[in-house]
Amino acid sequence: MDKRLFSHLNWGLLGCMFALYLVGVGNLYSASGTRLEAGLAFSDFYQRQLIWGLVGLCGMLAAMSFDYRRLRNMAWPFFLIVLVLLLLVPVAGKTVYGARRWLSLGFMSIQPSELAKLAVLVLGARLLARDGRPLGWKAFCSVLAVGLVPAGLILMQPDLGTTMLILLILGGMILFHGVRGYVIKTCLVAAPCAAAFMWFVGMHDYQRRRILTFLDPGNDPRGSGYHILQSRIAIGSGEIWGKGYGEGTQSQLRFLPERHSDFAVAVFGEEWGFVGCVALVTLFCLFLLSVFSTAVQAKDRFGSMLVVGVFFYFFWQIFINMGMVIGLMPVVGIPLPFISYGGSATLVNFTLLGIVLNVSMRRFMFKG
Amino acid sequence: MQQNDAQPTATGGENRRPQGRSWLRIQVENEGYQPPRGGVILLQVLVGIFFFVFVVRFWYLQVHLGAEFSRQAQENRLRQERIFAPRGRILDQGNRVLADNRTAYGLSLVREDCEDLPATLAQISAWSGIPLAHVQEKYQQDRFKVKPFEPLLMITDIDFDLVARIESEIHAWPGLEIVVRTKRSYPENELFAHVLGYVAEANEREMESDPALAMGDLVGKQGLEFKLEKDLRGSKGLYDVEVDAHARALGKTLREEPRGGAEMQLSLNRDLQRAAWNALNGEAGCVVVMEPDTGKLRALVTSPAYDNNLFAGGISRRDWEALRTSNRFPLQNRVIQSVYPPGSVWKLLMAAMFLERGVSPRDTVFCAGQVRLGNQIFRCWKKGGHGSMNMESSLIHSCDVYYYLMAERLGIDRIEQFARACGFGSPTGIDLPHEKSGLVPSKAWKKRRFKRPWVRGETFNVSIGQGYTLVTPVQMAVYVSAMLNGGDLLKPQLLENAPREVRGHVPARQETLDFVVNAMRKTAGAGTARVVGRKDADMGGKTGTAQVVKLKMAAGDRRLRSSEMEYAQRDHAWIATWGSKNGKRYVVIVMVEHGGGGSSVAGPVAKRVYEHLFGPDTGVPPPVQPLPRAAAGTAPGGAAAPALPAAGAGHG
Repeated sequence: MDKRLFSHLNWGLLGCMFALYLVGVGNLYSASGTRLEAGLAFSDFYQRQLIWGLVGLCGMLAAMSFDYRRLRNMAWPFFLIVLVLLLLVPVAGKTVYGARRWLSLGFMSIQPSELAKLAVLVLGARLLARDGRPLGWKAFCSVLAVGLVPAGLILMQPDLGTTMLILLILGGMILFHGVRGYVIKTCLVAAPCAAAFMWFVGMHDYQRRRILTFLDPGNDPRGSGYHILQSRIAIGSGEIWGKGYGEGTQSQLRFLPERHSDFAVAVFGEEWGFVGCVALVTLFCLFLLSVFSTAVQAKDRFGSMLVVGVFFYFFWQIFINMGMVIGLMPVVGIPLPFISYGGSATLVNFTLLGIVLNVSMRRFMFKG
Repeated sequence: MQQNDAQPTATGGENRRPQGRSWLRIQVENEGYQPPRGGVILLQVLVGIFFFVFVVRFWYLQVHLGAEFSRQAQENRLRQERIFAPRGRILDQGNRVLADNRTAYGLSLVREDCEDLPATLAQISAWSGIPLAHVQEKYQQDRFKVKPFEPLLMITDIDFDLVARIESEIHAWPGLEIVVRTKRSYPENELFAHVLGYVAEANEREMESDPALAMGDLVGKQGLEFKLEKDLRGSKGLYDVEVDAHARALGKTLREEPRGGAEMQLSLNRDLQRAAWNALNGEAGCVVVMEPDTGKLRALVTSPAYDNNLFAGGISRRDWEALRTSNRFPLQNRVIQSVYPPGSVWKLLMAAMFLERGVSPRDTVFCAGQVRLGNQIFRCWKKGGHGSMNMESSLIHSCDVYYYLMAERLGIDRIEQFARACGFGSPTGIDLPHEKSGLVPSKAWKKRRFKRPWVRGETFNVSIGQGYTLVTPVQMAVYVSAMLNGGDLLKPQLLENAPREVRGHVPARQETLDFVVNAMRKTAGAGTARVVGRKDADMGGKTGTAQVVKLKMAAGDRRLRSSEMEYAQRDHAWIATWGSKNGKRYVVIVMVEHGGGGSSVAGPVAKRVYEHLFGPDTGVPPPVQPLPRAAAGTAPGGAAAPALPAAGAGHG
């Protein structure tokens, strides 16, 4: 690798990322209790998260090692492979918690819907990078189709959260790129009509019920409402200064469900209080802004769109997850990047940031 | 806008790729790329909104409401606890319990709360005595069925001493919890196994399709437990449990009341069932007792059976394999899931069909013991022949030749049509899963199945209930009931309060039905079914001996006696009967697999069932007109086959 590339690295982004990652591991350590016994190696969440962080670092370096513009040529093959995998899921997938999402490869299991996010992101960037004019009808539809096809397959698994995330990422990228005024106006009128048509004609009763539960978890007899209540108590009881690291009673006494994964930030809120939460939100904003600055500085449209895709990938997850934990959004199974425990999510997060760094360090490549 | 060539620049060393590999060629735009202005603003605004909204919200929760939440966290903490609803009991006709619930303790594990999983699993193994490998296997299998914070049921049905011991030690094991569940028990064991079926823990697919099910819940898997699942299950309740900072429970508030499942009363009678079971005496076969007027089943016995308590507690692999692979098929409900050639019992249907198709009961056929068709010989069961036979005598003596020749005259199409109209070839609709349809062969069926045309000899076989013809014992019960009740094909009912449900109608006149009933009466009096005849009741019957192996293959030109044959090659023994005493009418069908002769093997079983129903034969003839309809009607042709007074049944 060219040494000059290294000097162009976006150190601010790298700094935010490691700061968030360390906050996440520290928080997980507190959430898993304070035991550290011999013979328990790797069975604790924070330790596994550390290992996955190292794996993610390798993924990040790998994503930086080649010129990102090569991704443009791989966009279609990658997308098609992911489509095939998604089609395999209903046939050969295995069921976990009532949804068929996983594909077993023998030695490990993968979730093709995770890969679909990446595939849509890369292909969307490629299609949007064709020219800089706001999208007309034709271009708009072709880009949207790239998201709708995998989203439809994922919706059938069913995985409403990921479906929504894919469409939101692509939608964000399209909006960033710019759309003709008449397209936007038509969509603003047509979308509610289409939704109403789907609701009354295109859906089975159980699908409607699923969506109602999604929108109003208080309806859910299995107790999403309980989650929200517990997480609000945990966060609220942190008050201004928090109870102190490792002192959170709600999580230590196991009141808070899913405190390692989707509700991890509630543990943080309880122990670090309002001050800590503001700091965390600020850190997330700095992180997002440094991704954003890379998008602005990129030297070609493809690189810029790629980074914008990554921006929205993180933005929506942060927004939806934290919104859910503090009761602004319905309960959806979307983890908080860097803070929630998740092996493959960590790997994907680091790899995507590798791509962003890749774009940022090659931004001066063509100066004559 | 796009340029395919990389610009030759000083720093672009990486871009100097061989041009031949097009997929690797890098596409570059003009260096003067400017991000869209609108997009830049959009992203900045989004981040701004995010910051603002979340800071305000955190302030609201943690500063504005912080003290209140703090109080809740300190003093009252809510936990939710499910209350299990008892499953509805199942009773027999006399309110005796056939399926009951008893309390059982289980040990569950909440993954997320468990600090040292390997040690906890080892402890579970130490308490229960289940090998550690099994505990681990169970854990691996089930861990994805529930979310990390939900209880995972590790062992069920712990005995009370062990519960006490675990209770005293459990505080050292966070994540473990003793749970109370009800367990199903079947006091009659194998007697009602096939009717009741069994319950077992819900599997992944069932939990997926029914959100009310959680892991460890019992659902019906077979029999009535499966069919009546909705009524039997009820719905769970919910407690809000207040716990203090030391996890001590302070109090419970009921949020949702549990609703117990409905109690079901069956039409079956335990004592009659037991009597029929004993009468079968371990033979593989089945007994159906049905009320012809209501369609209610009073006994439904199939043998051999299995103990369904084995399933309620989670059957071991060894027991399951033993049941599944047994060559006597104890899992098979022979009444509805096994199909057999009906043998001569089928003649009850053929005779009715002949009458409806214009055959006069006076027409006679000469039986010389065999009929030749081309180079094939079709034998009558009686080697010397029956001589001259009319319809009634052919039924009483079960002469095969009469049916060969009459069926030949009318053809397979009419037989098929009539048999289908009488409910054969389709399920009876009984409330049990996996009912078989049986088979009524036809020309089209044979073409489809074997790609060969129908041949005349096959019509001969069908006419005596052999060949391709296959029926289930319960279909036969429905048909014989229809003969008695005026032609209504009733749904066989298992529930005491089920209404009479007519699913079809035998396409025959009342005289035809009366003729068949009368012929059965005479058969029980002096014909092949006289084994069930008794003086104190009005009885009717028809036997059947259904060949399993073709005659020619078995032994040249002579029928083998049962004792000479291998078990699996022996004939199936049938008897279809009805009996009436003191205004109560029953249809009893007995089928003994590979039993041999209908009258010698199935007959005595039916006789013992009637001894339970009517008591031992007192020898006192019943008062006149116990069977109003049958006695009042006259057989077609009047003079040729005069209707006997009911009391005449005893003359054999």
